[in-house]
Amino acid sequence: MRNPPSLLSLAIDSAVPNLPNFDDLSPLPDHVLVDLFLRTLRAGKLTEKILNLFVATGKEEVLTLIRSLNIRRVITPVLPTTTIKDNEVDIVIGALRSDLTSFLNGWRSVFSQFHLIIVKDPDLKEELKIPDGFNLTVYTKTDIDQIVGSTALSFSGYSCRYFGFLVSKRKYIISIDDDCFPAKDNKGIFVDAMAQHIENLTTPATPFFFNTLYDPYREGADFVRGYPFSLRNGVDCALSCGLWLNLADLDAPTQALKPGLRNNHYVDAVLTVPRTTLMPVSGINIAFDREALGPALFPALKLAGEGKVRWETMEDIWCGMCVKVVCDHLGLGVKSGIPYVWRKDRGNAVESLKKEWEGVKLMEEIVPFFQSLSLSRTAATAEECVVEMATTVKQHLGTAHPVFGRAADSMVEWVRVWKAVGSKSS
Amino acid sequence: MAAESRPAPTPLLKDELDIVIPTIRNLDFLEMWRPFFQPYHLIIVQDGDPNKTIKVPEGFDYELYNRNDINRILGPKASCISFKDSACRCFGYMVSKKKYIYTIDDDCFVAKDPSGKDINALEQHIKNLLCPSTPFFFNTLYDPYRDGADFVRGYPFSLRDGAPTAVSHGLWLNIPDYDAPTQLVKPLERNTRYVDAVMTIPKGTLFPMCGMNLGFNRELIGPAMYFGLMGDGQPIGRYDDMWAGWCTKVICDHLGLGVKTGLPYIWHSKASNPFVNLRKEYKGIFWQEELIPFFQQVTLPKDCTTVQKCYIEISKQVKAKLGKVDDYFNKLADAMVTWIEAWDELNPAGAESALPNGPSK
Repeated sequence: MRNPPSLLSLAIDSAVPNLPNFDDLSPLPDHVLVDLFLRTLRAGKLTEKILNLFVATGKEEVLTLIRSLNIRRVITPVLPTTTIKDNEVDIVIGALRSDLTSFLNGWRSVFSQFHLIIVKDPDLKEELKIPDGFNLTVYTKTDIDQIVGSTALSFSGYSCRYFGFLVSKRKYIISIDDDCFPAKDNKGIFVDAMAQHIENLTTPATPFFFNTLYDPYREGADFVRGYPFSLRNGVDCALSCGLWLNLADLDAPTQALKPGLRNNHYVDAVLTVPRTTLMPVSGINIAFDREALGPALFPALKLAGEGKVRWETMEDIWCGMCVKVVCDHLGLGVKSGIPYVWRKDRGNAVESLKKEWEGVKLMEEIVPFFQSLSLSRTAATAEECVVEMATTVKQHLGTAHPVFGRAADSMVEWVRVWKAVGSKSS
Repeated sequence: MAAESRPAPTPLLKDELDIVIPTIRNLDFLEMWRPFFQPYHLIIVQDGDPNKTIKVPEGFDYELYNRNDINRILGPKASCISFKDSACRCFGYMVSKKKYIYTIDDDCFVAKDPSGKDINALEQHIKNLLCPSTPFFFNTLYDPYRDGADFVRGYPFSLRDGAPTAVSHGLWLNIPDYDAPTQLVKPLERNTRYVDAVMTIPKGTLFPMCGMNLGFNRELIGPAMYFGLMGDGQPIGRYDDMWAGWCTKVICDHLGLGVKTGLPYIWHSKASNPFVNLRKEYKGIFWQEELIPFFQQVTLPKDCTTVQKCYIEISKQVKAKLGKVDDYFNKLADAMVTWIEAWDELNPAGAESALPNGPSK
C-alpha cells in the first residue's frame, strides 16, 4: 500500500507549474531545492529561464546535478523567426547522383532540424551514400513500385521527387536539386534558403496589384502610396520559386551561346507574380503548400530525349504553367525571388543541344495554350483543376503532339494515385 | 565572337531628352545633379505664386514656365493644368519637343549604390527606355537584356524580342513613397534595401506609378501622361501620378508597349507632413477602391490605335462609370479631353519642329 503524499511533497508538486512566478529560489533548503529540480525535470518543465533560476541559487548540490546530467543552455541560432514548427516541413530531395555526401554536408546546418525525404532515381544503379546526423527517410525503386503499384507514371530522373511529394505527410514541402548548395548574400553571409522559403509561404501574396517595393511584408518595406487598402490583406502563398547563383537555369541554346555566363546578381527581393501572368517555374529550388496544392505538381511532360540534366527536361516548366493557372483560379499566390541557392557547374550545354531538343519548340505551343486557359467555376480544389486541365490539354494540344496527350494521361493517373496514396496524410 | 565584351556605353541622348522639374521652392538640388544633368535641356514648371522668382543655378540650359505662361499659352484650356500641386509638371511634357522625358522632384538627390558609387539615375532610365520590355511572359531573372542576365529556360523564343519600352519607373531610397496612414503608423521607416533589378510589369497588371523619378518615351506614350486635376480648388491631392499611371498602363497594355520598374534609385530626402497628406489623400483612399476595379476592366476597342484615341475613350468611360462616384470625375473626364486637345494643338502631327527647344526665360 502506497504511503500518502507528505505535505512537503504536495507543496513541491504545486510549485512545479508555478515556477515562472518565482524570481529567487535561494531561500529554499538544499534538499527541497534538489527535489524541486528533479520533479521539474520529470515534468518536462525545465526551460532556460527556470534553469537560470536554479543556477542562480549557487547551491552546490543542484549545480553538481546539472553538470552530471549534462544539461546545457541552448544557444539559439540567429535565424529569421517563423511561426512554423519544423515538423510541418518536409525537405524532398530527388537523388540523381548516388553520392550525396558533399550535398548534405553542405546543407547540414540548415537541413538538420528538418525531416528529409530522399527519393532515389529509379534508374540509378549505385547505392546511395548518405552521411550521418540527419532525420531522413529514403525511398528507392522498390518502395516506389510497392507504394504506387502498377502505373504508367514514370518517376525516372527529375520526376523521382514527385514520389516524395506523394508520400509526405507534412503541410509544406521544400525541394531543391542535388547539385545546389547554400548561396551567400550581398553581405557575404550564407543564406538560409529553408527559412526564406518558409517565410515566403507563411506571409501573404499580393497577386491583384503590383507593389513597386516588392514584397510589402518584408522587414523595412510596406505597401506604397496608391495601393488599395482592400487588397492589403493579400492571399495565401502556395508556391515559392527561388533563384540560382552561378549556373542559372538558362536553356541549352542560351548557355551554349554564352558559355561563360554566370549569374552573379544577388537581387534582394521576393515578389508576387501577378494573377494571369505566366512564368517558367524552375524545379531547381522551390517550396509549396502541399495541403493547398496537393496533386497540382506532378510528373507529366516527358520529352523523348529527356535526360539527367535540367537542359534536357521540361517537366518542371510544364508543371509550373499548370500550377500557376491553378493558383490563379483558386485565389492563391505565387512568389518569385529569394532565396538563392548556388548551383554547381555541371553538364555541357552544347552536348544537350545536340539531342533533339523538343522542349524549345513545344514552349511555342504551350504558352499560348495556357494564356487562354480558364477553368470552370466548379473546379474548387487542386485535384478538380488538374483533372479538368488534363481534359483540355488532351483536346486542344494532344491531337497535334502525342507528348501532350501522354502528359494529359499522366495528369489524370497522378490524381488517381494521389487519392489512393497521398491523401492518407495524418 | 567575344561573348564577354565590354558593354557599349549608354548614349547620352542629350538632344533627345528633356528633364521636367516642377518646383515651388528653389532648385538648389540641381547642384548635386550637375554632373549628370548639365548636358540636358531643363523644362521648369513653376507652381504657386508666379511673381516669385525661382533661381536656376548657373550653367543649365532651361526654359521656365509659371502660371502666367501656362495661362497665356493654353488660354481657356489652361483649366486642365493643376495649380498648387506638382501635377502641373505635365504641362512640361506637353510643351517639350523631345522624344524622351525624365521627371524628378526637387527633393530628390543622387543616391549611392551598395559599392558607394553615385548612381547616374538618368543613364539607367535611358538604358531602360532603349532596350525592350517583356510584358507577355515573366522572366524570373528579371530584365533579360541586362549585362549578366538572360531569358530563363522555358521562355519562348518567339517572345524574346520583347516590346518597345514606353515607361521607366525608378525607385527611392531613404524616405519611401508611403501614403499618409502608413506614414503615420511608421514615421521612422526608411527604405534601405537596394534591389538590384529592373523588371517589366506584366501585361494586365496595374501598379501605383510614382512621379518622383520617372522616365518615358514621349513619342510612344506622352499624351497618356496627364497628371489630372489636383491641388487648389480640387477635392484631392497626391493621386496625380497614380491617375496617370493607371491610364498609361491600360494604354500600354492595349498598344503592346512595356512598362519597367526598379532601378534606378534616387535619394528621397524630404518626408512630407503626414497630416497634410492625409487631408489631401483622404478621398482618394476611398475612391481608389472604385478606381482599381474600373481600370482593371477597361477595354479599349481595336480602332483605338493611337494614344490620343485610347485616352479619349478612357475619358468617356470615366464619365460613364465614375461620374456617379463623385462629380469630380465628370470634371476630370472633361479635363482629360481638354488635355488631349491642348496636346494636339501644341504637338501637331507630322510637323517638324524648327526650334529644338522652346524659348527660355
